[in-house]
Parts: sequence; C-alpha cells; structure tokens
Amino acid sequence: MPEKVETNNAKTKKVRFTDMFAILLSSKIAMVGLVIVLFWVFVALFAPYLTPYTPYEQDWKAPNQGPSAEHILGTDELGRDLWTRLIYGARVVLVVLPVSENISLPGGTAIWGVVVALLIGATLGLIGGYKGGWIDELVMRLLDAMMAIPVILLYLIIVVAIGASAVNVVIAISIVGVPGIARLVRSLTLDIKTREYIRAAETRGESAWFIMFVEILPNTRGPIIIDAMLRIGYAIFAMGTLGFLGLGMPPPSPDWGSMVAKGRAFILTGNPYAALWPSLAIASLVVGLNLLADGIREESMRYQ
Amino acid sequence: MKKRIHPAVHDMKSDMEKGKLSRREFLRYSTLLGVSAFTATQMAGLSWTSKAFAGNVKRGGTLKVATALQKIAHPATYSWIAASNVTRQVAEYLTLTDGKNITHPYLLENWIASDDLKTWTLNLRKGVTFNNGDTFNADDVIFTFNQWLDESVGSSMKGMIGGYLSANNIEKVNDYQIKLHLLVPEIAVPEHMFHYPAQILNHRTFEGDFLKAPHGTGPYTLETYREGELAVVKARSDYWQKGADGKALPYLDAMHFLDMGTETAPMISAIKSEDIDFIDLSDIGGTDIFRALKDDPEINILAAPTASARVLRMRVDVKPWDNEKVRLAMRKCHNHEKLLALAYMGQGLEGQDFHVYQLHPEYCEMPIPPYDPQASKKLLAEAGYPDGLEVNLAVGSGWPDVVRYAEVLKQDAIAGGFKINLQTMPNSQYWEKWTEVDFGITPWTHRPLGTMVLNLAYKADPDGNPAAWNETRWVDDEFSEILEKANGTLDVEKRRKLFCKLQKIQYDRGSIGIGYWRAVWMVSRSVVKGLEGHPNGYMLFNDVSIG
Repeated sequence: MPEKVETNNAKTKKVRFTDMFAILLSSKIAMVGLVIVLFWVFVALFAPYLTPYTPYEQDWKAPNQGPSAEHILGTDELGRDLWTRLIYGARVVLVVLPVSENISLPGGTAIWGVVVALLIGATLGLIGGYKGGWIDELVMRLLDAMMAIPVILLYLIIVVAIGASAVNVVIAISIVGVPGIARLVRSLTLDIKTREYIRAAETRGESAWFIMFVEILPNTRGPIIIDAMLRIGYAIFAMGTLGFLGLGMPPPSPDWGSMVAKGRAFILTGNPYAALWPSLAIASLVVGLNLLADGIREESMRYQ
Repeated sequence: MKKRIHPAVHDMKSDMEKGKLSRREFLRYSTLLGVSAFTATQMAGLSWTSKAFAGNVKRGGTLKVATALQKIAHPATYSWIAASNVTRQVAEYLTLTDGKNITHPYLLENWIASDDLKTWTLNLRKGVTFNNGDTFNADDVIFTFNQWLDESVGSSMKGMIGGYLSANNIEKVNDYQIKLHLLVPEIAVPEHMFHYPAQILNHRTFEGDFLKAPHGTGPYTLETYREGELAVVKARSDYWQKGADGKALPYLDAMHFLDMGTETAPMISAIKSEDIDFIDLSDIGGTDIFRALKDDPEINILAAPTASARVLRMRVDVKPWDNEKVRLAMRKCHNHEKLLALAYMGQGLEGQDFHVYQLHPEYCEMPIPPYDPQASKKLLAEAGYPDGLEVNLAVGSGWPDVVRYAEVLKQDAIAGGFKINLQTMPNSQYWEKWTEVDFGITPWTHRPLGTMVLNLAYKADPDGNPAAWNETRWVDDEFSEILEKANGTLDVEKRRKLFCKLQKIQYDRGSIGIGYWRAVWMVSRSVVKGLEGHPNGYMLFNDVSIG
C-alpha cells in the first residue's frame, strides 16, 4: 500500500508541474515576464563569468565614461565597470544574501525578505482565520495598525532604527510584507475552513496545528505564489528606494538604488549612464515579475 | 595719536625686499600686527583697490539663499559655518579676514601688538550701535570674550584662545579700549577674532540664546529663524558702514535663507529656475554643483583654493588606533593623486597626511607621501596584525566626496592589509558623534594660518585633557612644545623650520590622514553683484547687490 500511495503522489506532482508549465506557455504575457526574470537570474548566477572585472576595481584614470569596447556600459564616478556592478547588484537582489562580508546565504535579499514575510504572515493569517475570536481580532487589528503607516515611511523607520545592512533590509522587507500576506491567507482560510475535508479532519480528531498547516495551507498556495511574485517586485523596489536614500547596503556594495543615487549627480554633467542602467534594471525586473504574476493569474483563472 | 609701527614690520619689509617673503605674506603679517591694510599695501608697493562701484549700484531687492538651517542658540557654540552665515548678517566680528587671507580691523578701529606679542591693545570703533539701539562698547567685547572662555558655554573659541588668554587677563582701559595680556606670545589674535563662532554679542540683552534677543551690530535684523525651514533678515537703516553711493549699507532690502538640506540636485534646478540666487556651499562642498553649472552663462562661479579637508581621523585612545604603527600603516594606504582625482575631480591639492597645506605661509616643503601598501602590511605585522586588520569607518553619506574618499581608500587599503567596512549615516547623525567615533572622516574647514587648526585639534587644554575639538585625543609632548614656540614666532622662515618638525611628527606618529585639500566655490546667479570668493565660504555680503 505505501508504495502505491507514493506512485500516486509522484503522478499528481508531475501533473501539477505540467499544468503549471502549460499555463506559462499558453500565456504570452507570462512568457515575456519569465524571459526577463530568467535573464536577470542568469546574469546574477553567472556574474563572475560574464565580466573580466570585479565590482570594486577602480580604473581611476577613466571615471564617468560612456559605453566603450572596454566597458560596455561605461564606468561610474570611481572608474568602476557599470556592467559588472549591475550584474553583481542583481546577485544581491536575487541570488545571494550577504550576511557579513565573509558569510553569504543562497537566495537573494529580496527573496529572503519575501520568504520570511510569507512564513510569519501565513502563520498569523492561518491562526487568525482558523481560530477566530479574540485572537483573530487582536492579530488583525495590530496588523491593520501597521498597514496604516505609509510603506516607505515604515521602511525608513525600521532601517534607520536598526542600521543599514543586507540582513536589516531583509528584516524591513519582511516586517512591511507581513500584514498584506496575513490578510490574504486569513481570507483564504476563512473560505477553506468551511469545506467538507476540514470537517472530516476535525471529526478525525486532528490537532488545530495539523489542520492549519497540512490541510489548509497547501490549498492556499495558488494565490500565495502569485502574491509572492508581486511582492518580490515590491521588495526590489523597496531595496532600490532604501539604497537611493543611502540606507541600503553600505558602499561600495553594487546596490542598484545607491548606484542611481550616486549616478544622479552626474546626469546634469554629461554622464547619464551611471544612473540610467540601474534604473532600467530595477524597472525591467519589477515589470518582469509583474507580467509573470499577471499572466499566471489570468491563465489559471481561465484554466479553472 | 601717532601709531607706532611694530618693529617686526620693518624686518618683514626687508625680508620681502630680499625675496624671502612674498608680498602677500608681508601684507598678511603686517596687517596682523596692526598696520592698516592701506599702509601695508603701500609698503608692499601694491596699490590699494577699494571695492568702489561708480555709483551704479542698484539698491533694493531680496537675495534668496539655499542653505541648511540647523538648530542654533549660542553663536559661540556654532560648529557649522552655514549657521554663522545667517547670523553674521546680524552680528559682526572684531576683525575681517578677506578672500586673500589678509586680516583687517572691523569692529576694531585698529590693534597694536607689543614687541613680545604678549600685550594686544584693541581700539574699538566708535559710533557703532546694535540694532536695538544700544551703543557698542568695550563691555560688549569683554562680555563676549568671557562667553568664549566660559567652560560651561562649551565654545570652540576656548580651544582656540584659551591657551593664551584667561578671563582675568582682559583689561578694560576705557569704553573703547581693551588690553589683552596674553599668557604666551601669539600672532594670530586678529584672525582668531574672525573665527566663525566669534560674533560680538550685546552684553545687555544676551542670555544664552541669540534667537531670543538677536541684537547685533550688523546691517540686518533677524526677523525669522525656523530650523530646517526658513530664515529672514531685513536691512536696518542705521548701519555704520556706508556704501559707494554715500548712503548706509546694505544695498539689499532683505535676505531669505531657505533650508534645502544637503542634496545638491534640487539646488541646481532651483538656481537655474531663478528660485534662488545663491547657494551656501560652506558646509556641503559643491563638486556636483560646480560640475553642473560651470558652463552656464547665467551662473557666476568664484573659486578659492583652501585649507579645508576631509580628515581621516583615528582615535588614539581606543584599539587598534592606539598603536602608532597601525596609524602610519593607514596613511601608507593613501594614494593622494588618485584620491584627489576621484573624490574631488582634481579640484584642489594633494594632501600629505598632516594638517598643514601647501599655501599656508609657514608650510615646509615636503614630498607627497607615496602609496605604499607593502610598507603598510609590514607595519601591521610589526604592530601584531600579521593577518591584516578589519576596521569600521564612519562616513557621512551626505558628503559625496567623503563617500568617494572612503570607497577609494577601502579599495586601496586591501593591498595594505586593511579591511575597511564603511558605516554610512546621514551627516547630521555623524555630527552628533563626530568626536566619539573610533575611525571616521570629519570635514575640517579652512583656516588661514597653519597654527590655527593645530591649536584646535591636536593638543591638550591647560588641564592636560585633549582640547574640546581634539577628536582623536592625540597629544604629543614634543609636538605641543614646538607648536607653542611656533605660536609666538613671528619670522616666517623661523616658523617654517618649526613647521618642518611639526609636519614630520604629525606624519610619523600623528592621528590623521589627509587625502586632498579642496577648492571651494561661490555659486550665484550672474545678476548678483559685488561677491568675493572666500576660502571659508563666509558670506561677507555687505556690498552685495542685485543688478
């Protein structure tokens, strides 16, 4: 019997993946988004192989240059290669989380921020939605209070209070993300907990934790995945904003936001490139993620 | 009364004639010793040009200035030039050091120094009134001196003059004459009296907060001062100085100071759109503004070479900077040519890691220290860090050139065995703890004599503790002793010999690195007339008009 169950599971998983893929392929919007996102993931993953420079090397005889054969996107105000800084910047966003100068975790800063927000937000949403009553009231009113604070302001308060570093940016992104995710998961939970199979589990005498995390949570994943993609976009935006305001990764990290901030001073003096490229990078990645999320949502709705 | 000319002036005149002393240095030293600038220029064989406009100055108008309006209370405690630039339109100084580093009497009629440089007689200008009607006299000057010297006020003036002057040694001869009996000889007394916190206060009304009783002798009255927002000064009609048209200054009706923070881009667009007329760059540098506006025909830019620097300072009372080998190793990681080129667009002079610059009169010629990461590594190993050293550097992110200095240094210091982590913070946060951080980059303003900053920042107060602005706590007995000698040595060549030693000591075992010396600019719309560049960025705007 156990063997049979496993085969069944494998089969359904396979079907789900093909479904997902079919959705992706059938949506042109999703495909465009996917290509953009994959481009950035690719350059981020293989950054060291895509450039002869490091993001910190200063060619001090050639600062503020436009694109050339040596520096395909030009150089910044300290003579650093902009292409190199751009793709290493993508690494920090999408592929690695620099905890300290020596330790890095896999998974980008934006991804970590959203994952942590998901863990906390989903737990709070599940508890609130499933338990109801005063717990629900307490949790949701607290989160409402947080949502009343403008997002940018909340980011600034958090980062100024705990200092600027990659880990702190993750903390800021996740704190800001929690209320939205909790609300989403709670509303899904309110719907799912009225279903027959939840009744069945309760009759079986399963614990509340089992029901929340094994019965309800897996069934909320569709909307959560789409929401998470949008949220990664917001997180990238937040990183850009914080970096722009001088509260992102400390220099000389190739932080896109701070690259825009520093390059901005030279827009008026004839070298717009240092600000242009990272702005385009942020915009394209955010748009790519939005397209991907939109495409999947539309197609999956039609599919259903 | 026939004024006696200080005997040293004649010695200096012969020095100048032999070519030992430049005309400019002669002018400066003789005016310092109480010869009027007019007499001095005649002795130096230079013609005296006064700023006379042939009666075509237009009166009226409001000058709009972009600046940063900090919280202010007591002028003697200013640590921002921008703050003094607002209130210097209202309160005035005893002397005035002009854009060419020559000091003139101002609220003084003149000064006379004794031969031993220990007794200074200050003769006050008569007929000057405060804007509340009170007459300016010796009591105001003595009151203000006492404020500077009062421990509880916490003025940086104390560090500057406290070494040679105490409150008991100020003698009131009559209502318009004061004698300062110095503890040790000092040459820079007139220049100290133009240090930016040295505005003369009204002894009858001042109670610690200038904003509550803004009574000065200056050409304007303070109408509004809203921190972080707006300050307004309006012309008064009974100011003591006369303009070229024979009527009382100032030419302008009013000046508005608008707080535009430290971001330069809004200032550039504001001056282009004629929303502001002048940008006060005294505290924020202005490389980006210079670069953006240098070719604009509607904008007038005046440049001045200065002794203002971004000082890499290491606190010698904490590890690892207590070890002088570590500090020297950090200096060896300075590539001065690269630092000037990248951090300040090559606009200024290369630094030499001691706080004396090439245009100070007593500067002793020395080569630019080479970038030597190998030597740095060796020194670190000798200091007990054979595997290199990781340090945190505090950086105010609002000064773009400070950030660039830090980024270049971080990169160049890797080969020297240092791993520098940059800790950026808003400038205001840096100023809150600039004397406290272990390792940071502090902007130091221009001072016209080499001794001035050394007395402020690199010695002990009379009790033996580091002076108020000695941010690195570095006190070296030999250095202090030579500096004391230099403070009382008039002859430039003799001073230079002392400075050779001072510079070498500060390089070998001092507490700072200096990457480069900055040029500064005054940026205004070209309709603003009568501006003169000033190395401190002081806004000496009595003669300014809008054409």
